[in-house]
Amino acid sequence: MSPNGLSFNLIELGHFAAILAFVLACLQGLAPIAARLLRRPELARLTGNLAVAVFVLTSIGGATIVYSFLTNNFSVLVVASHSNTHLPLFYKAAALWGGHKGSLFLWVWILTFFTMLVAFDGHSRYPERLPVILAVQGWLIAGFYGLTLFLSNPFLRLFPVPAQGVDLNPLLQDPGMVMHPPMLYMGYVGFSVPFAFAMAALITRWKSELWIGIIRRWALIAWGFLTLGIVLGAWWSYYVLGWGGYWAWDPVENASFMPWLVGTALIHSITVQERRRMLHTWNIFLVITTFSLSLLGTFLVRSGVLSSVHAFAVDPGQGAYILGFMTVVLAVSFGIFLVRGRYQEAEETVTSPLSRESLFVWNNVIFTTAAGCVLLGTLYPLAVDALNGSRITVGPPYFNTVMMPIFFIMLLLMAVGPLVPWRKANLSRLRVRLLVPVIMGLVGAVSMAVFAWPVYWTGLVAVGLVSFVFGTLVVDLVRAVRQRHQQLISENVVTATWRTVLGNRRHYGGMIVHLGILMIAVGVVGTGLFRLEKSVVMAPGDVVQIGGERLRFDGVRSFRKENYVALQGKLTSLDHGFVLRPERRNYEDQQMPTTNASVNSDPLRDVYAVIGGAVPGKNGIMRYVVQVYINPLVEFLWLGGLTMIFGIGVTLSHRVGRVAHAAATDAVSAYAK
Amino acid sequence: MRRLLLVTGLLVLLTPAFGTTLATPQAGGRVVHEDALTRKELAIARTLRCTVCQNESVADSKAGIAKDMRALIRKQLRAGKSREQIVAYFVSRYGDYILLKPPFDAIGTVVWVLPLFLLVVLALSGWLVIRRHSHAPVPPAPKLTEEDLARVRAARQQD
Repeated sequence: MSPNGLSFNLIELGHFAAILAFVLACLQGLAPIAARLLRRPELARLTGNLAVAVFVLTSIGGATIVYSFLTNNFSVLVVASHSNTHLPLFYKAAALWGGHKGSLFLWVWILTFFTMLVAFDGHSRYPERLPVILAVQGWLIAGFYGLTLFLSNPFLRLFPVPAQGVDLNPLLQDPGMVMHPPMLYMGYVGFSVPFAFAMAALITRWKSELWIGIIRRWALIAWGFLTLGIVLGAWWSYYVLGWGGYWAWDPVENASFMPWLVGTALIHSITVQERRRMLHTWNIFLVITTFSLSLLGTFLVRSGVLSSVHAFAVDPGQGAYILGFMTVVLAVSFGIFLVRGRYQEAEETVTSPLSRESLFVWNNVIFTTAAGCVLLGTLYPLAVDALNGSRITVGPPYFNTVMMPIFFIMLLLMAVGPLVPWRKANLSRLRVRLLVPVIMGLVGAVSMAVFAWPVYWTGLVAVGLVSFVFGTLVVDLVRAVRQRHQQLISENVVTATWRTVLGNRRHYGGMIVHLGILMIAVGVVGTGLFRLEKSVVMAPGDVVQIGGERLRFDGVRSFRKENYVALQGKLTSLDHGFVLRPERRNYEDQQMPTTNASVNSDPLRDVYAVIGGAVPGKNGIMRYVVQVYINPLVEFLWLGGLTMIFGIGVTLSHRVGRVAHAAATDAVSAYAK
Repeated sequence: MRRLLLVTGLLVLLTPAFGTTLATPQAGGRVVHEDALTRKELAIARTLRCTVCQNESVADSKAGIAKDMRALIRKQLRAGKSREQIVAYFVSRYGDYILLKPPFDAIGTVVWVLPLFLLVVLALSGWLVIRRHSHAPVPPAPKLTEEDLARVRAARQQD
């Protein structure tokens, strides 16, 4: 049998495995109910084994699809419509999530993976609640599998087999895009774990102090992936879409931003509950909301109700299914929350209005407001259209106006919060702590006014705030290091700093995340205020001057690559010698042109060039439209993103000692025997 | 002081240190300049939606209709029309849909006022939560059982 013939069989095996996984996921959801009804508690314990089996079967299904892509098996519909023989191998493997069907399958695959991890994690740590948690996960898996298998099946075949496939969407043929969807999905799906915990807690009246610490880790992991996914998306948008920007308030970007915002509120308010035993009902609400917004995001992207650069063309049946599924999940989860939400009596905790926990409450207020505004802006046009029939647009200028003051308040809270102690702050001591940062903020705002006049007031506020936040971060660290240094004089300052940070990883991990946010703020402010842009028509030899940079246009050349033909312009910097080669590509199999920007980066600015259409000149010389941008401080965005991920890592490394490891290996060996 | 200098330095970097005057380039032909109308054209195009695109402004879109709309903007700018007149022209042709920033009319105002309303409601509830906790009575000390008391007595006797 030829290798091709073999893969014919394999995809059917994968299809069968996926169907089996769907059935087993349903069983996983039913097992605890059956155990209860039949009074056979041992049935509930099946959920752990089922979770592992569902993941293994789903992986078999996923592996056969990836294999079909790699072997150009065009008898599989998704392969024929998202890949062809010219597609580079790297993108063939990633083409699984290049289309609607494959990316939904990836969603399910990740969900089964997380479910299995929960099964391992809970085997020894919370065995009596595990079946209910896994049952909730099982229903989620079954729900998404239903959509995958019945309405958007990636295992479908195509006969007669075409000789060649349609290419992958050229915009997706970029390393950033290869990583962006899986990271985002890991984030979305990761929030299903806290959701399952919250549901299980409501159903079984599980005291929330017992599980809030466990979901904190899951929420942080999910939040970290979501952050990474969003940053990668922005990176891709900046380098590939060729419009000079990185965030467009596109409905789908908003869909990923909403769970991020509520997730941010959640990871902060979990801490309040851990430390002060406040807000446990609110935390359950946040958990449910975060996951609901993740579902909403999936719905918005997958149903095609919103027009967006991300929307896939899909049939209305799928939209109806996802809407129905989401309605059921929302109704059931919020219904249970309303009935059982107060299952645990609130403990009366005394706290001062000026304390860390009070500031965390303000954090929650502002982050939920932010999420609410984004939700409003995203859904309002839909609502108006449905109710009134009139069409309006809520676009980037709206979001920029509304969100800017919100971001300012966030920065302010981010600065002050970590300096305020729990329970009750001493106002005069706080004043001393804030003195240096306030001076730094003022110096920032004033130097901004001096050096960059004329500038809009938001510029002054933004720069002032950024300097202020930076000041508080420094003050926070310096204070702790000084304290340590006073007690242990033998240590030098570097060791003292190092050990201070390592000694309280949870706190300083958070501070590193804050530093990352601050760097992103620097990037946003830099590009927002000081971006330069020029659009000119150039003949070879012409020079364009933008800021202090003079760029000479050296003409164009055409060439052919694996799956596209390109027109490449060349711009040489007369001041710094670098060369920019912006391209316009035409992917022949799709007849789709793309614009590929060329960027020269250094830490302080990007020179960004895009080449546009040809304009015939007077004496037969072709001239080209060239757009050049100077984007100051853009690199801070990507660096800030990395810093945030690093900070999450530091926070999570806290207390992952021998004990946790031993428990995990026990669970693994128990399952894997 | 050093920290202050550092911050000042950092902020200097934040400001655009560009824009110094330069002599004619030594190794290039003529310097091309941007058409005087381009900035104005793009500024208007940024506030308008490309009607056939998926959530892109007329300025950012590469679709044919966006190009035509930009040409139309330019034509009207050449004819001496003001920004408001040009925007009004597009609104009269396409309706409010064309505006990326919803106007302050019966429908549009809602989307502008609701965020503020949301902030006020949430801030109020946040304040109530904090107030409840700050005025909460100090919880009564947990009742000691006989067993606990015995232990306390034993500990005291040891002292």
